[in-house]
Amino acid sequence: MADIEVKNLSKTFEYYRKQSGFSGSLKSLFYREKQYAEAVKDVHFSVNSGELVGFLGPNGAGKTTTLKMLSGILHPTSGEANVLGYVPFKKEKAFLKQFALVMGQKNQLIQDLPAIETFVVHKEIYEIPDGEFKKSLEELVNLFGITDLLNIQVRKLSLGQRMKCELVAALLHKPKVLFLDEPTIGLDVVAQKNIRDFLKKYNQERKTTIVLTSHYMEDIKELCQRVVIINLGEIIYDGKLDDLIRKYAPYKLLKVTFNGEGIERLQAQTFGDIEAFTPHACTIRTDRQRTKETAIALLSSDLPIDDIIIDEVGADDVVRMIFCNQSSPCL
Amino acid sequence: MKKFWTIVKAFWQRALTYRFTVLAYRVGEFGEVLVLILMWTAIYGGQETISGFTLGEMITYILIGNVFNAFIRNFLSNVIARDIKDGRLSMFLIKPMGYFNYILSQEIGRISLVTFLSILTQALAIGFFLRVFIWNFDAAYLVVILGMIFLAFVTELLLSYLIGLIAFWTDEVDGLYATVDRIKKFFSGGYFPLSLLPVAFVQTSFALPFAYSFFIPAQLYLKKIDLSVGVKGLLIQIVWIAILYGIIQIVWNRGLKRYEGVGI
Repeated sequence: MADIEVKNLSKTFEYYRKQSGFSGSLKSLFYREKQYAEAVKDVHFSVNSGELVGFLGPNGAGKTTTLKMLSGILHPTSGEANVLGYVPFKKEKAFLKQFALVMGQKNQLIQDLPAIETFVVHKEIYEIPDGEFKKSLEELVNLFGITDLLNIQVRKLSLGQRMKCELVAALLHKPKVLFLDEPTIGLDVVAQKNIRDFLKKYNQERKTTIVLTSHYMEDIKELCQRVVIINLGEIIYDGKLDDLIRKYAPYKLLKVTFNGEGIERLQAQTFGDIEAFTPHACTIRTDRQRTKETAIALLSSDLPIDDIIIDEVGADDVVRMIFCNQSSPCL
Repeated sequence: MKKFWTIVKAFWQRALTYRFTVLAYRVGEFGEVLVLILMWTAIYGGQETISGFTLGEMITYILIGNVFNAFIRNFLSNVIARDIKDGRLSMFLIKPMGYFNYILSQEIGRISLVTFLSILTQALAIGFFLRVFIWNFDAAYLVVILGMIFLAFVTELLLSYLIGLIAFWTDEVDGLYATVDRIKKFFSGGYFPLSLLPVAFVQTSFALPFAYSFFIPAQLYLKKIDLSVGVKGLLIQIVWIAILYGIIQIVWNRGLKRYEGVGI
């Protein structure tokens, strides 16, 4: 069953263009040029119950806008969104009690008080019974190992500690659907991994439907079986991450290292396109079907080969390639 | 109800965290009352009455009016405008408790300590002028005054909330707030008793909600207006509360469709 159903969803923002400088500011007092930006254009997708889907896209692609429409924060300009059978923008209480949204750059904890105070406020807002609250809190706090942090003013916590508390606050009421907008942004690698491991475990144990956006490929690679790629407000890919690599990178990489004096660039070029070259190490692109033959040819040549590795193109590179083609040429 | 108390308690604690700011403001409040009294004493300069006010009445008017006003004030507009401008409103929209209820609970928690200390400060000021201060222990009057102050508190909250919501269109409301604040203070009689002005002003101010936070309860206290006028005032306040609530509903629904939840 689909927990999230999105059809023809679009959102257009209004804004004004101001000419630069002081005179521009003066002019804009009397006349402002109204402009429209299409943040999300005619988007379709659906997410099944228990699925963990990753939204990928460059800054300004429309990921957050989509999540905000799914949470009922923004009113769609046109189209439909349906989450757990509810229309999000109507903000029915029954709906609001069943989902949670966590934004890496926005906090819902009360900054000037210890996190435990926000948790208690949430308990009342979400009408969580005493026993259940205690149990959930204990579970989540233990999972993250943050018992010591509960009584420290939130402002004094580090970003990673704060994020853990944010997640606890969002999960106390056991949401069926969880939206995460860049939950690992700005965190160090250890904290990123903590959050990732937690989400993975949480998704497996609770079967919570999770939609996550991130700029870190590691997040997506480790957590999401399925990715949705958005660029310039449109979905350009929806499927498995592995298939994405196969579709957009019809070649593999042969990473060859050489002994002794090394080789000349020209010698390597006969085997395929060169991705990277030094006299002692060289990466050659080769057609998926012809990988084996190229490797054999290399080994039977008289080049001073030390080692060969056959590798897939990295997901980062594939995604970068897609975004480059779509919007602006990359270097 | 439990939600309300939990939020009030949380923000009561927050106020305690910032004791210094809370106390620092009180010094200014105290000073302002002293300056006003000093000014009026100079103006009287031996005159028996001005527009029917003896100096003792005038001093009592200032002192008791400021006590009432301490109960009524709030600082909600800016909180709301900032929530809207910075997109923090988003985090409230996804909670199964309306922003209106949440933010009002928060504000009551936030200002409770300030209100308490303000009243204490004003009581201290009364202590300084005990010899001239006029006491009124007439129960009927006090009940009407109490009702009036409660309704004025609600009116002020709604008005501030409404001004804050204008941020959906303008992002900032400081200018509007400052202007409304001055109009409010003038029509409330916070600068001087409105009865010093032509009758038309007094009549207009009876129809507006502002005078019920200072001038009218202070006049009631001094028994310069009749109890029946006070009771009629309560009805006018209720009508204003209904009007403001209605406007808030409309503005909120329109604003929400415009809301962009920026900041990320």
